[in-house]
Amino acid sequence: MTKDKMSFQATAGTAGLFVVAAALRLLLFTAFPGLPNLLTGRVEISTPVTSFKRLQEGLFLYNHNVNPYDGGVYHQAPLLLPLFSLLPDPSTYPIFTYILYTLVDLLSANALYKIAESGEGGASRLYSSPRKEKRWNGYVVAALFLFNPFTIATCIGRPTSVFTTCAILHAVAKALSGNIFTSMLSLSFATYLSMYPLLLLPPMVILAYDRTYNPKVPKSLAQLAGMCTLAVSASLALLFLSSYALTGSWEFLSSTYGIQLTLTDLTPNAGLWWYFFTEMFDSFRSFFLGVFWLHLSSYTPALTIRLRQQPLAVITLLLGIFAIFKPYPSIADTSLFLSLVPCFRHVFPLLRYSFVTASVVLYGTFLGPAFYHLWIYAGSGNANFFYAITLVWSLGLSLIVSDLAFAVLRDEWEVERPEMRGKEIRQI
Amino acid sequence: MSADIKNDGDPKPSSAEATVSLPATGIAIVERKEPPPEKESDTRRRSWIVLSFWLIAVFIGLPIWWNTTTIYRANLPLTQMTDWADGKACEPVFPLRIALDVGSLPEQEAQNLLRLTQHALDDLNDFSGHHLRLQLAQAPTEATTQVRDDSNVALTIRLAPGDAAHTASSSLHPHLPILDVQYPPNSLPTANSPSSGLATYIATQLGSTFAEEQNIISYLLETSSITPEHRPKGISQEVVDTVSKRMTRSLKYSQTYHLTFSLFTNGPVPSSWDIEAAIDEYMKPVLDMLKTIHDFTIDTQVQLYASPGVQSHVLGKEDLSSFINAAEWPLSPSIGGAPTVNFIVYIGNQTIGVPSETDAAETSQSWMIPQWGSVYLLAPPPAEAAHVSSETLKQPILTFTSHLLTLLGTPQSGSVPLRLSTLARIRSADLLLRASSSLGSLARLTLALPSISIPSNVANGVVKTIHHLELACASLGGAKSLEHARIAEHEAERAFFEKSMVGQLYFPDEHKIAVYLPLLGPIGVPLVMGLLNEIKAWKTRRSQKLKAA
Repeated sequence: MTKDKMSFQATAGTAGLFVVAAALRLLLFTAFPGLPNLLTGRVEISTPVTSFKRLQEGLFLYNHNVNPYDGGVYHQAPLLLPLFSLLPDPSTYPIFTYILYTLVDLLSANALYKIAESGEGGASRLYSSPRKEKRWNGYVVAALFLFNPFTIATCIGRPTSVFTTCAILHAVAKALSGNIFTSMLSLSFATYLSMYPLLLLPPMVILAYDRTYNPKVPKSLAQLAGMCTLAVSASLALLFLSSYALTGSWEFLSSTYGIQLTLTDLTPNAGLWWYFFTEMFDSFRSFFLGVFWLHLSSYTPALTIRLRQQPLAVITLLLGIFAIFKPYPSIADTSLFLSLVPCFRHVFPLLRYSFVTASVVLYGTFLGPAFYHLWIYAGSGNANFFYAITLVWSLGLSLIVSDLAFAVLRDEWEVERPEMRGKEIRQI
Repeated sequence: MSADIKNDGDPKPSSAEATVSLPATGIAIVERKEPPPEKESDTRRRSWIVLSFWLIAVFIGLPIWWNTTTIYRANLPLTQMTDWADGKACEPVFPLRIALDVGSLPEQEAQNLLRLTQHALDDLNDFSGHHLRLQLAQAPTEATTQVRDDSNVALTIRLAPGDAAHTASSSLHPHLPILDVQYPPNSLPTANSPSSGLATYIATQLGSTFAEEQNIISYLLETSSITPEHRPKGISQEVVDTVSKRMTRSLKYSQTYHLTFSLFTNGPVPSSWDIEAAIDEYMKPVLDMLKTIHDFTIDTQVQLYASPGVQSHVLGKEDLSSFINAAEWPLSPSIGGAPTVNFIVYIGNQTIGVPSETDAAETSQSWMIPQWGSVYLLAPPPAEAAHVSSETLKQPILTFTSHLLTLLGTPQSGSVPLRLSTLARIRSADLLLRASSSLGSLARLTLALPSISIPSNVANGVVKTIHHLELACASLGGAKSLEHARIAEHEAERAFFEKSMVGQLYFPDEHKIAVYLPLLGPIGVPLVMGLLNEIKAWKTRRSQKLKAA
């Protein structure tokens, strides 16, 4: 019976799934007209660098021939403006925006489907897990992404981070299918929109290298890395130049990436930075900005070296780390991370804290909005309430990340020491 | 987390333990099984990971740390600054030039009179900070043109033979800085006489004219940061008391003052007033004369149904301070740079119960509020007239004008032009001293806190301050002095209250440990431990290799 079901899913393909997911989103958009604007205002979804409200402000200025960065509200990439000015005004004809965001979600799900179908999670060029048979197919992984409440809330809140999500997933999918340059172009788009995806370049290069590796004509990794770096730099330069042509000045660099680098906007969010930097002594501010950014970027080389054999795992773990430690994280980043986790279905039996992490994340999800309400609207709490719950939330996420890292490493280790399978281990 | 991953990667020690039962004793002995030796590739990989963290920390982290936490200390001319504060750099001396216009007297006699009067002045004046220098008016023609040409002359004495046979008399010209002295024709000194009644008389008159200025300036010196040995001789305590009372009443010096005229009525009428005409007519002339010292901006407002802070009909002395209804009356505090001086005309049926006896300028209808402004109570117009004419406002505006002069710190004796030129001199001395003391404070602060950063604009401000102080000191008593002193004071204040320095004022070095330890400890410990482990492993490998060799 199970076999029948599987085959049915495979033949029906993903069309039915996509239709249902799109219908659900459009239903939520239209049945609850107040919902999009409510979710747009939530700090967990909209950060100063992704907010749809701020995008509209920038759009208004742009359409009235004013520099969109005047006024210090808009901190997003300039090329989003012509895209959105093509759409009818979102306040009068919101349906077009809804359709755009739904489509972006479906595109992401499609990329994710390809990633899961490639089987890279369980078996890469250099490493094949003994548990690789136990995996979810693309249909399930895409469904888990499309019906994840975080993804749906993000879609309805319409932050521009969904474009970054889509670009990253496509970069991975294209790297898996061997289209190196499309992958690098996609990564450049993600970098252009949010900056931090640039840190994914090393594992992405290794992923592309592994997938295009031909034992008969072995290429050098350094050569490919150089080519990829060149491709990313060239496409980024092109994007920057077109942004310059669009806005007429280089000011957008300091207003978009500068804001992320210097954290000038201290609007509360689900991350750990804002509270630190409201409390920071002014003379140490720039130093600790450097420390926080270094901390964020120091994971890339170490993880890439350690998990050289499983580049997709590196990308997944890095996305989890970014969702915790980047300057303006939101649940959009969490949903991107969680969407890739099911690709490692085979290591799920090795997870040690699945119950704890699930409860901590749920706890954070429900208490976060409540404490934010107590602080901002009811006035019966203070900033520490909300910050405490973001700490819990980050703790939950870091538990997932470290647990997944542990499981992946244990899986690797058991290949080396097959006699230790299923036994209790201890760290020395 | 990084440490986690590294260690997780190591071949795990087996926690599986072999239990061997000894049949004889029945005691289970736990024997640990050794993990298999680590693979060469794993060791190398771990070294690479530790190296990657250290490379980032050393090649990116250290430069960031160096760049963001080095304290920039611009060079300040500290000795010069303390010299100014101690009064070593500038002798606070006001040379005042007095022109003697002798009219038709022959040259010889005029010189003689000049010499004797100067002598008498020097005998009379024991305060070194204030020199009166007599000179003959250059062109003995029209004194008025003379005054305008040479602004450095503080006062002109116009001598004229009078009718009185025995006594000399003098009077100050009301609109020009001229002292008219009429002398009996026979009192002119002869060529060889050692003293002269007329000379002594003139000297006494001059002394009394400038007595108030002298007192104020010596008071300023007394209260400044200048060390006693560089300070001219002190003044008596009672003079200090009176002067300090007057000085605390006046507003802090500012280039611009904002004058707000408010009409408050307790009923629906009157609702309009001819304030513009009244100001133009009664106050403008004084404001024009003050133009060389201050600028003024003016606004007016009318508020109906305004109830004062005190409801009683007859206001006692203690009521006067609470009369202003600060909560309800729209009296703006100083917004922007210029301090506000408030003038309030209140129309109601209240009167003051205790007429002031101390101050002649205060009528029973008005009183002055120190450093704030003044209030005038006006009786309601008879026929419920909705308009207050400019004639009705004459008395209030004249009162306000005299209050304004007091609030600005103008001395109270002498003619108006003399009072104003005195005001300019007092203000320049005041600003000069304040700028100097700010410089001294900044120098002390710099020495006391070696960890405070000094931005280059502070150094620029100090250099500018010293430059303008020198100019002001050189032209002390002259017209340019006030301008330079004002720039100097402004620059000194800006340098002292530099934003980035004020924040660090209360940041002791111990706080740095509190900042670094909790935040960097969790990062530093795994980094250092990883490095130590690597070094240890490398040493063992080497010794093994040596042994094998």
